[in-house]
Amino acid sequence: MDQKNYDVILDKLPEAESRPEVLFRQAGDGFLQVEYGSIPRFNLVDSFRVLTVNGAVKAKNIKGLYETVPGIRTNMFHFDPEVLSVKKLIEEIEEEENKLEHVEDIEFESRLISLPIAFEDSETKKAVEKYVKEVRPGAPNVINGYNIEYMAMCNGCSVQGIKDMVCATEWYNSGNGFWPGGGFFWPLDPRYAIVVPKYNPPRTWTPEGTVGIGGPCLYVYPTPTGGGYQLFGRTIPIFQFAQKHPLFKESPTFFKAGDRIKFHEVTEEEILYIYKHVHEETDYVYDIKTDKFKVKDWLEFYNKPEVQKEVQELLARQEAGTKAAPRV
Amino acid sequence: MLKIINGGIETVVEDWPGRIGYLDNGMSSSGAFDNVALGLANVLVGNQPGEAGIEIAGGYFQAEFETDAVISVTGTDMKPTLNNQPIPLWESIKVNKGDVIKFSHFAEFGFRAYIGVAGGIDVPLVLGSKSTCLFGSYGGYEGRKLQKDDVLKFGKPSKDLDSLKGRKLKPEAIPEYSREWVLRAIPGPNTSPDYLTKEGMDYLFANSHKVQLNSNRSAVRLAEASELSFARPDGGVAGSHPSNVLDHAYAIRGSLNICGNTPILLIADGPTLGGYMSALHVINADLWKIGQGTPGRDFIKFVFCTQEEAVEARKQQREWLSEKSLA
Repeated sequence: MDQKNYDVILDKLPEAESRPEVLFRQAGDGFLQVEYGSIPRFNLVDSFRVLTVNGAVKAKNIKGLYETVPGIRTNMFHFDPEVLSVKKLIEEIEEEENKLEHVEDIEFESRLISLPIAFEDSETKKAVEKYVKEVRPGAPNVINGYNIEYMAMCNGCSVQGIKDMVCATEWYNSGNGFWPGGGFFWPLDPRYAIVVPKYNPPRTWTPEGTVGIGGPCLYVYPTPTGGGYQLFGRTIPIFQFAQKHPLFKESPTFFKAGDRIKFHEVTEEEILYIYKHVHEETDYVYDIKTDKFKVKDWLEFYNKPEVQKEVQELLARQEAGTKAAPRV
Repeated sequence: MLKIINGGIETVVEDWPGRIGYLDNGMSSSGAFDNVALGLANVLVGNQPGEAGIEIAGGYFQAEFETDAVISVTGTDMKPTLNNQPIPLWESIKVNKGDVIKFSHFAEFGFRAYIGVAGGIDVPLVLGSKSTCLFGSYGGYEGRKLQKDDVLKFGKPSKDLDSLKGRKLKPEAIPEYSREWVLRAIPGPNTSPDYLTKEGMDYLFANSHKVQLNSNRSAVRLAEASELSFARPDGGVAGSHPSNVLDHAYAIRGSLNICGNTPILLIADGPTLGGYMSALHVINADLWKIGQGTPGRDFIKFVFCTQEEAVEARKQQREWLSEKSLA
């Protein structure tokens, strides 16, 4: 075959009201990716939309649709193409898209989870050491055996500045993925939106509870795995397959789409103590509060001139920092 | 029952299609790396093609049967023996209590062998599947690869053992192995013109990509593609490298991601979501070949395929992995 067709956009919905353009991308036999906006942007409004439409499509119990996997500005539909044609699936999704005009009206139940973090701990340092030894000797994102100085460089701030930003904002989960129970968390306060490139190539090992950032997204590694985010610290368990601790009684995973987490700094000893009290003693009490997240209120905060002014200052520091930092 | 004497390099219990429906919780499907070899092994011993069997990667597996059974060995020819006598591949044989089965290492072609057992492997269902997820440490036999002194239980055979032994495949039903594995693939979701250039996409389809030694059950890494041309100077808000995207779900199993300049195929236990672009997707019916690609030796070549061809190929594979393939 000489003329290969690389055009993978099977259909589109035009931009309307608060909805960006919706692109339906071919993603394999049995996979369809729905993407919001033709120009990738980091805007949590897209995630609020993804989760709302996702819920509506799933409620239809469409025959042949196995599952959906929401991301920050995309949703992946996994289906049996022998039962459900991609054309029919697109029609079903479009019907729900057209019903949701005003994203500002969305409100949802959200848990606020307080998580301790030990910055620059010895376990995550081992992962970086292994990477430099086995995968990429001389990696430019590893400075003094770790990633946090490189992160500071990219964001035009100090190492302490990175720690402060991580703890200053609540982080919102747009959906679980990557490894069992891991959530993809985004800063709700745009003034603390750290941005860093990912590893090139990725790591082969990361310890349980490692916290990393890639692009603007924060991830907690639930089990020892590979990964490509820059590492700066370790938090407490978020996954327990043995389901011994009461928190994991219903499911071995903890995070849910729509959750928020907030970090506070502790020592590595305290983190290790909590591991013992989650996995062995099973008596650690997680700090969780539930309230209603209102998109309208968040937008009001986000769009305040004083907030936006600080965002512009951050962006300028990041632009200069990224230019000065070596490319991975 | 089967008592393990030597677990070998990496031997795991896997079924097919694995654990479907948990991607949105970060749980990949796992499942047999080569579902064709597993499927045919099962058909030979009278099981459903997706029943759990034993997947042997690399080799050196050794075990003793503690009950009479009917088994079949498929996949790469690891020169299996029973009580030190060679046994044939791609047919069912009767084994007796006390018999010892022993494998050497992977052959000239292929990397994984499978043992099918009449009645299947009896391990608990975890979220609907018997498959082992090595990276999550759950499913299969205690969530891990098999080791010395483990004891695997068998399920109930579909017929009496004597009527299941001596079953063979039609010669044309035995898969052809190679050192260059040709995989049919559908472009998307990140292609030209917005992520790679047309030349970049052509590069992926035109070249043979060597399977790297640091491949495992979650990802098969291919040789670095330094000539791969991107359509963007960087990843915008997602990071400085043009292969970076804002985190999205991966079409797993079968997605070819571009991570920096390294193309990586995501399979069995792989990540469900992440921040690298996905250029193409290996069709469901050709996933099995990835499991036979020998790290450090074999090559993978992608051939352009349409949605319609991919759906047709699924139907053909279902026919292939059925009793119609028996001689």
